[in-house]
Amino acid sequence: MNPAVHLDGITKRFPGVVANDDVDLAVERGSVHALLGENGAGKTTLMNVLYGLYRPTEGRVVIDGEPRSFDSPRDAINAGVGMIHQHFMLVEPMRIWENVVLGNEPTEWYGLRVDEDAAREAVRELSARYGFDVDPDARVEDVSVGVQQRVEILKALYRGADILILDEPTAVLTPQEVEDLYDVFEELTDQGKTIIFISHKLSEATHAADEITVLRNGKNVGTVDTDDVTSEQLAEMMVGREVLMERSAATEPPGDVVLDVEGLVAEDDRGVEVVSGVSAQVREGEVFGIAGVDGNGQSQLIESITGLRTPTAGTVSFHGEDLDDVSRRERIDRGMAYIPEDRQARGLVMEYDLTQNAVLGSQHDDEFTDGPRLDWDRAASHAESVIKQYDVRPPDRDATAESFSGGNQQKFIVGREFERDPDLVVATHPTRGVDIGSTEFIHDRLTELRSEGKAVLLVSSKLDEVQALSDRLAVMHDGEFTGVVDPTTVTEEQLGLLMAGETLDDDTVDHVGVGDDGRPTETAADEEVSA
Amino acid sequence: MSRSRPGAVRARIESLLRRFAGISGIDRVLIAFAALGLSVLVGFFIVLGSGRVAECSTAAWTMPITGLGFCYDPFEVFFVLFNGALGGPFYVWEPGILNPEWLPITLPWLGFMPGWSPFNNAFALTMSETTLLVFTGLSVAVAFRAGLFNIGTQGQLVVGALLTALVVVALAPLFPANRVGGVILIAIGVLAGAVGGGLWGAIPGALKAYADANEVITTIMLNFIAANVAYVLVLEVFRAEGSSVVATADVPEYAQIGPWLFPPTGDFAEAALLIGLVSLVGLYLFLEHTSLGYDLRVSGIQPLAAEYSGVNAKLTTVRAMTLSGALGGIGGSIWVLMSEGRWVESIPDLGFDGITVSILAGNNPLGVLPAAALFGVLKGGALQVGFQTDVPPELVGVLRGLIILFVAMPEFFRLIGKRLVPDEPEATRGGDGKDGDGVGGTAAVDDGGEASA
Repeated sequence: MNPAVHLDGITKRFPGVVANDDVDLAVERGSVHALLGENGAGKTTLMNVLYGLYRPTEGRVVIDGEPRSFDSPRDAINAGVGMIHQHFMLVEPMRIWENVVLGNEPTEWYGLRVDEDAAREAVRELSARYGFDVDPDARVEDVSVGVQQRVEILKALYRGADILILDEPTAVLTPQEVEDLYDVFEELTDQGKTIIFISHKLSEATHAADEITVLRNGKNVGTVDTDDVTSEQLAEMMVGREVLMERSAATEPPGDVVLDVEGLVAEDDRGVEVVSGVSAQVREGEVFGIAGVDGNGQSQLIESITGLRTPTAGTVSFHGEDLDDVSRRERIDRGMAYIPEDRQARGLVMEYDLTQNAVLGSQHDDEFTDGPRLDWDRAASHAESVIKQYDVRPPDRDATAESFSGGNQQKFIVGREFERDPDLVVATHPTRGVDIGSTEFIHDRLTELRSEGKAVLLVSSKLDEVQALSDRLAVMHDGEFTGVVDPTTVTEEQLGLLMAGETLDDDTVDHVGVGDDGRPTETAADEEVSA
Repeated sequence: MSRSRPGAVRARIESLLRRFAGISGIDRVLIAFAALGLSVLVGFFIVLGSGRVAECSTAAWTMPITGLGFCYDPFEVFFVLFNGALGGPFYVWEPGILNPEWLPITLPWLGFMPGWSPFNNAFALTMSETTLLVFTGLSVAVAFRAGLFNIGTQGQLVVGALLTALVVVALAPLFPANRVGGVILIAIGVLAGAVGGGLWGAIPGALKAYADANEVITTIMLNFIAANVAYVLVLEVFRAEGSSVVATADVPEYAQIGPWLFPPTGDFAEAALLIGLVSLVGLYLFLEHTSLGYDLRVSGIQPLAAEYSGVNAKLTTVRAMTLSGALGGIGGSIWVLMSEGRWVESIPDLGFDGITVSILAGNNPLGVLPAAALFGVLKGGALQVGFQTDVPPELVGVLRGLIILFVAMPEFFRLIGKRLVPDEPEATRGGDGKDGDGVGGTAAVDDGGEASA
């Protein structure tokens, strides 16, 4: 029998970016398939190809053994493919049945009037068939997010979808709603529907899917049966090993504590607690790494440290001073450099040229100002030197940031932040999207900064990167450090376990003398000196 | 010989269109002129059409060949509109200089009006409108650049004007009644206007920053509050004795901004325009060459990057609205000290026109001057059309609206430019692969291929 969906060698190129590189994917009818991968791995692009939002550059889409070419989602829907986006597309003040039939209303009076009774009945019938507990007359704005998601699913089913694509369906749900969603999956597949869902969370994929395909950097790393794979293996597949790196150990013992985080609790934008009591210390001449699968609270932890987010509890101290009332600008002035996670939203003003971007964050710094005046000549020569040192291509400081490729944008930000002469460098994913040569250069510079006695806090989802660069390595899962380990002695398997949320027995790993609160004990620091 | 000419013309048109397709400053000006031309063309037919419907004893214009008569002469309307705004430097020679037998149409010839001086009343009106709109246009522009929609420049202008009138009248006895005293009073008056408008603008700024109130709503509402509170205050407290309208006492003659060269009846003073130009250049320098201006611009264009770079978003909002209000308030001061000599209830809609001026200028201070001048010309010219022709004022209003409508849609002309001319740089730039980019880029290339084929 033909698979319900067969993607055959899909390649999708955007100017300067290959989002999908020769991806094959086959999904059996009546199964649940998880598409797993980090942010930017190309999952959503691949599904947008299947849903007709993008046309593939190469490759073909085969539905039920029949090659198809979709010009628009309408074609995909006609072929029985429905997609539920991460952000619901519902008209909130309208009733559920109105939302479901919107655009495909059953009509009476020769098309002049919506046949409300027929529509309501159709929705009620669909809802009953799949065991959805949905009242067709409720208004969308009055029902929970979980029910709204079902309305989206009903919309797709009403249009005759046999294959349902869900983009990060659990991102907006409470744990109970997630369980209910899994039940819905079961009900749907029992009746012959096929489900593909996108996720970057391991536990979801192993829990709900029959098969899992892992994407990394736009490539299919492998499709595995859920029963044959462990979470650790999946974690490794997701983060991968791209650059083999020589570990360069710190030559000098770490000095005074620069950054001291204690019992930090933070919420995300929706008010859900995603950092639950994290403590860490970063010293002069030390790289403290944080590993873990994306979305486990790293972003919020880092934003709380750099001053972009107000923590709900706990303290952040810099050089022994509490930063509670210290503004973001003051933190920059005191010597905190920060390579942000989202370079296009935060790190660069996309419509400005590199000269203007060279002063982002130091526009009030004496280095570039005479009183109130900003000296663009000095900004230009600074931009020039960053471009030169960090090999930003093309070397044109008058070109707008948006005209550079992602990797070159990143190099410019890294250069600007490193050249700030900071005491602490907070680097999140410093080499994401950067080519191998530049990656090595950035790594070298990070190591140099450490030798100069700077403190470095490094967050990366690339295991080999954090392992090779860090002097101490914390693994974050679900808002907590599951362990702080010595990167020289820890094994991949152990890291995989920690990333999957398990803790290690004390005797299985050589902890860096970590106390219960995640701080190194005095002896730990000494050990490292001798190491 | 005749073969090469179409090619050369075509190349020139293509190069012109290619510039339309770009984004920077020069093509904005080109686009503005193309828009002006197209609006005149469309307006031409509107005047003809309404001239056909209207009733009149003798036709103002007869269409060649067909012999159809029209009540309004479209050539005359547009000639008077632009010529009248300058006070009539040109006049039309009687047709017939060229022998009608040689040409199907007898072309009119322009002659320079002997004795014309730029310092006339009609041109003064144009300049006065331009000057006032420079201030309100700058006011709206600075808020826009910070990502704020200040619809409240009108209210800020009303408050600034009232404060200027009251302060100058109250302080006048303290200063000598001569040039020196006048200059001091004018300085104090403008300062009072800036403070009044600034504070009035700071209110919606603070409400936005600290109470999350949408500035569009608050500024609109504060317009009503300003207008009505000012009215009641003047009516009940500050009304000049014996005045038939609701107005404050007159500002003493020596404390008004008077003209140097223009006739005193024209209500325009060169010094006021000078203050406007200084504000304009000052705002440009502030935005482009100071740290605070940089904060403000980044906040407007990419708030997350501003936050990352340490900009205090709340403070910047209040600052931008205060500056915006202060510029509107100075507009009010100039209106009092240059045009009216007192605060009167019938304040023109300068603040609202400022919104259009700012958008026409692309929210760039340097663009505010030509945009304000266009408004000034249309205002001054429309009055002259009313005086010199039988065309009803409503029709002139339609023509004004049409011109602004076309000038305000540069994207339309850019689109035409892109469709007709292959557009190399855009297609390769593409950016980060958002769906729209890729599609748009290829479409432009495809169309280009057709055009050159």
